Amino acid sequence: MDYMQAILQVLQPAALWAVGVGTFGGILIGAMPGLTATMGVALLIPLTFGMPSVEGLNMLIGIFIGGIYGGCISSILVKTPGTPAAAATVLDGYPLAQKGEAGKALGMATIGSFIGGVISTVILACLAPQLAGIALKFGPSEYFSMALFGLTIIASLSGDIIKGIISGLLGMFLACFGADPISGALRFTFGLTGFSSGFAFVPALIGLFAVSEVFVQLENILDDRIKKIKISGVWPSKKEFKSCIPTLLRGSLIGTFVGIIPGTGSGTASWISYNEARRASKTPEKFGTGFIEGIAATESANNAVCGGALVPLLALGIPGDVVTAVLMGGLMIQGLAPGPMLFQEHPEVIVGIFTGSFIANIFMFVIGMLGIKYFSMILNIPKKLLTVAIVVFCFIGSYSINMNTFDLYTMLGFGVLGYFMQKFNFSQAALCIALILGPLAESNLRLGLLGTDNDIVAFCSSPITVGFLFLSLLSLVWPLVRAFLQKRKAEANTVESTL
Amino acid sequence: MKRLILAILCLVVSFATISEAGDYPDHPIQIVVPYSAGGGTDLSARVMAKVMRKYLGKPLVVVDQPGGSGAIGTSGVSHAAPDGYTLGMGAQGPLTMLPHYGGIDYSKDSFDYLALMGRNLILVAVNKDAPFQDGKAMIEWAKAHPGKLTVGVSGAGGAPRIATEGFASEAGITVKCMPFNGSAPAITACVGGHIKAVAAHPAELVNQSKAGNLKILMVMEPERISLFPNVPTTKELGVDFTWAAWKGVIAPKGLPADVKAKLADALNKTFKDPEFLKKMENLGEFVDYRNGEAFKKLVDRDSVVAEKVIRSLNMYGMNAKKK
Repeated sequence: MDYMQAILQVLQPAALWAVGVGTFGGILIGAMPGLTATMGVALLIPLTFGMPSVEGLNMLIGIFIGGIYGGCISSILVKTPGTPAAAATVLDGYPLAQKGEAGKALGMATIGSFIGGVISTVILACLAPQLAGIALKFGPSEYFSMALFGLTIIASLSGDIIKGIISGLLGMFLACFGADPISGALRFTFGLTGFSSGFAFVPALIGLFAVSEVFVQLENILDDRIKKIKISGVWPSKKEFKSCIPTLLRGSLIGTFVGIIPGTGSGTASWISYNEARRASKTPEKFGTGFIEGIAATESANNAVCGGALVPLLALGIPGDVVTAVLMGGLMIQGLAPGPMLFQEHPEVIVGIFTGSFIANIFMFVIGMLGIKYFSMILNIPKKLLTVAIVVFCFIGSYSINMNTFDLYTMLGFGVLGYFMQKFNFSQAALCIALILGPLAESNLRLGLLGTDNDIVAFCSSPITVGFLFLSLLSLVWPLVRAFLQKRKAEANTVESTL
Repeated sequence: MKRLILAILCLVVSFATISEAGDYPDHPIQIVVPYSAGGGTDLSARVMAKVMRKYLGKPLVVVDQPGGSGAIGTSGVSHAAPDGYTLGMGAQGPLTMLPHYGGIDYSKDSFDYLALMGRNLILVAVNKDAPFQDGKAMIEWAKAHPGKLTVGVSGAGGAPRIATEGFASEAGITVKCMPFNGSAPAITACVGGHIKAVAAHPAELVNQSKAGNLKILMVMEPERISLFPNVPTTKELGVDFTWAAWKGVIAPKGLPADVKAKLADALNKTFKDPEFLKKMENLGEFVDYRNGEAFKKLVDRDSVVAEKVIRSLNMYGMNAKKK
């Protein structure tokens, strides 16, 4: 049987070694702020030139999967998202680690990533050609409405609604800096060439979350007591795990779906999954305080994106996100053009990729679980030293993305902004979401209107668009409806008890 | 231990100073790519770097400096020391188009041109269900439906945009250019039927064309190409307009003559190396080696045409500082 052979070739020691090394390297790359999975794959493509195609590809896939997972390590331990995908994990992961449960936080993140990865790989292997059609249904209006739906997360995430709206609008404004996506005219760049792409995303995130935290830490850095944070067990309790199961499944499905739609990616998926988990939860107020379900939601979703993004790449030759676009380059150098023809001409490569992503997930799980003890040692470093080291890494990470000194100013500026937002209780998450989704919404709204000659009715007429617009509306009014229902229930109860 | 480290440091420093006087190159050479990792230019540069090591004897390090449609990295090359240790991938957009929009701190004359690596031809393709399935029918359809022909392009001011607008004005039709965030989203939108046509490079279109999702109507070349022998040229369709993007290797202006000769020689050998050609063919890249002089001539010619198109779009100097 051909398929058996194709599977067996991935189980050869050399191929296993390639996947294992790739995954391990990916985890390290993901954990380093500023080194993203995209860069990891791009940097290692030349290394795969001399390898047999299945080995080379699976090494790249290992890096991809490990890299998306690795981002959670620095998010949870030092509040520095290693990749945009892990920004949402900061919200619950960091507080949980500060409570002394770093082991459990990382454990849940690893389990979540594993489940998300496996579910999406299974979906990829079973349904890739059938699901790939979804990718083609998305035109400008569909993207815009999906981005709009994503932006409604701000309403439920920000606590104080006025401050949340201010943060969100500020985020969208800051996202407007740089070249206009439609006309190419430069906006707010003050004639500086280095600024012509606006605020770079990763440096902005590093500033917003990590540098602002450093400023907060500086306030009590002279406090010499070393707060020994014990590394608790890495496995969540049975009860905790049980309560996370629906969240994990939901996150995996959301991640796979968002992954299939080209041009989105793990950042979007983890925020949507986080919001949906919070909305479905009986205790939404616990989210953001170090709640284990929050980690399960974001990590299952962002790793499920890996499998999802491979669906349109393999079935249609359309990359699902930036990493898969780079991966496509790697495939083509090997002389393999992704697309429907690949299924017919080289089924062994397709099966090899499916098997490889499965194995990469297993490697990720094992390496992650065994590594937690060592990763967490970071927390035993005296605060003074750790803070300085984080500052150094923030600079290296922000610079290494684009090699553009302007990104360092971006990082520092966002650090100061984030510090004051924290001081005055503005939601940094709202700003972050607006930074991710603002440009997606803007360029697609304008592209769509350009295509329909500014006819807003024609723009909103596709079923997917209407569906997402309806969901957005629901997402906005749902908190009000729920508050109303609870109030009525409470009133009914009091009436009953008085009777 | 400390003394040992000190000794090693001294040794390294002394070696570094000695080798300063030695033959070029004595340490790794950096190649700045003004686009993101994993794109066509980046991958070609990495293939080139790997092969060129054979001929230069020192490693070449690819550094991606993306942003500003290539302006940031290209500007970086123009300001680097002209010592042969910083080279750049010179692309058509940043060299011949961006300066016309203004707000750029270099011009095409800020560089020494070493060699042209290859050209990225421009093709126009349509969805398999579009109301026209050949180039002549497209032009007629566009004449009958002015402003309704939506053409997806990779960005607001890039080569496919300029080529499409230039073609349209020569053919006497009006098209609506839809700038997407890169070629891949534009092609996806065309396969999905959200736009009528897409202008892009062969490597980007070959998969979808093979799969039968897109039909390629024309190539903006003087002659048919071997990859798509059945696709007519724009000239055959009666439109006298050809365009191709390109990339080559550039250096900051003022390279010492011996360094320049050595680099030109190594590039010449690299671009004719079978390993290089094989990898580039797999990538769908159209290798077209030309020496520095011919490269410069091409730059000058395209800059003139691009300026004309950009002026006709009222985009000339739009980013220049208002005085």
